[in-house]
Amino acid sequence: MNFDFTPVFENYETLLTGAGYTILIAVLSGILSLVGGLAVALTTLYGNKAFSYPLRFFIWLFMGTPLLLQLYLLFFGLGQIGILIPAMLTGILGLGIHYMAYNADIFRATIESIEKGQNEAARSLGFGRMQTLWFFIVPQAVNRALPQLGNNMIIMLKDTSVLSVIGVAELVLNAQFEIANTFRPFEFYISVAVIYYILNLIMETSLNRFEKKLEGRR
Amino acid sequence: MDSNSKDDHANTGLMLDIINVKKAFGELKVLKGIDLQVQRGQIVSIIGSSGSGKSTLLRSINHLETIDDGEIWLDGVRVNQPGMKGLAFENHINSVRQNMGMVFQQFNLFPHLSTMDNVRLAPMKLKGIGKSEATEFCMELLEKVGLEAKADTYPSHLSGGQKQRVAIARALAMQPKVMLFDEATSALDPELVEEVNLVMKQLASEHMTMLIVTHEMNFASEVSDHVLFMDQGVVCEQGPPEQLFSNPKEERTREFLKKHLQQQ
Repeated sequence: MNFDFTPVFENYETLLTGAGYTILIAVLSGILSLVGGLAVALTTLYGNKAFSYPLRFFIWLFMGTPLLLQLYLLFFGLGQIGILIPAMLTGILGLGIHYMAYNADIFRATIESIEKGQNEAARSLGFGRMQTLWFFIVPQAVNRALPQLGNNMIIMLKDTSVLSVIGVAELVLNAQFEIANTFRPFEFYISVAVIYYILNLIMETSLNRFEKKLEGRR
Repeated sequence: MDSNSKDDHANTGLMLDIINVKKAFGELKVLKGIDLQVQRGQIVSIIGSSGSGKSTLLRSINHLETIDDGEIWLDGVRVNQPGMKGLAFENHINSVRQNMGMVFQQFNLFPHLSTMDNVRLAPMKLKGIGKSEATEFCMELLEKVGLEAKADTYPSHLSGGQKQRVAIARALAMQPKVMLFDEATSALDPELVEEVNLVMKQLASEHMTMLIVTHEMNFASEVSDHVLFMDQGVVCEQGPPEQLFSNPKEERTREFLKKHLQQQ
């Protein structure tokens, strides 16, 4: 066995570009999954049944099937009937919507966990229904949801690698591209693993700091 | 809506007028026709055992419970509007509630907001008062309840008594016409009760109109102009505290007082 990381160092730019796209995808999908998840949770809890029932079905559908299959359906399935979405956009949407379903479930649970007295206190001051949600219920629910949301976002960051199957040039696909040139899979995959690990470490530390800051405000 | 009776009520001079209010939870009749008049600046206490309906009555006044029948008037404005639905009622009740301060047994402070924000958010968002002005007069309110030093503290770092004093300041920040206290000291450790009672006594001395649901007979007799004894959903007996506490007419009142004065 002889490890040689020279090809990795020589082609580090491809990996960095891939890592950059991985971060970009994670950030955009993350925003989509969080904002959308909150919107879905609020609609299923308080919205018109005409919207809330289809949304519940949507959550059940996306939580019950594999991400990989969802991406295939979005990219190749829709492509077959003439709806062509660029791979990168498909990936961001697919990943975002998949985790939107999980986040919606978390938001729903934490919104429901806020004590009835909070609502009564806000309403008794004269706040309307929407204002009560916006100023009091949602901020507290988000605070409570943070640890679980953080976990989801860490899993999602790793799941960006699945996007390589539909040809999104993120970290794994770029590594595979260089492996094809250099025949050094072990070295490249180990390097990729290290990059993922570092990205997650950064994310975890900042999440922990954020949560510390919110301690005592729940 | 009958606008005539509205005009009538503008002339009664009553701060609160509660007429034949009925409320049932399913089969259980909690309020069986309650009448209660509160004058401007009057302090009325409601006593009675658990389940007598006194908390439900207080919550009904603020429309946290929807009554089945009867009328509730606040300073000439009808609180419950059986004919009003949807958004119109929502707007109506929001503006009515701004005139009533409610203090809860469990404090219900907003844990994600600092003490100052707990107090100042409502006047800022609902009355459109600017931040600096709101901060100034909310600081005065915190001084009044003795907690100006805790303005930047979050509720989880406050004692029960401090929490309830902040909750009182929060209710006062909307400059309500009447304050409703729903067993404000029942959840407190005995040694913390007095600091909340002192704040309430101070409010009483400033002629705030107050409706107080309480288990504390001594406090009720000390602070009130008028006391109601409720039993099984009706007002069993009412009168000035001297009379009701020392010379009750009804047998049920005597029994209740005997039991409670023994406990204290």
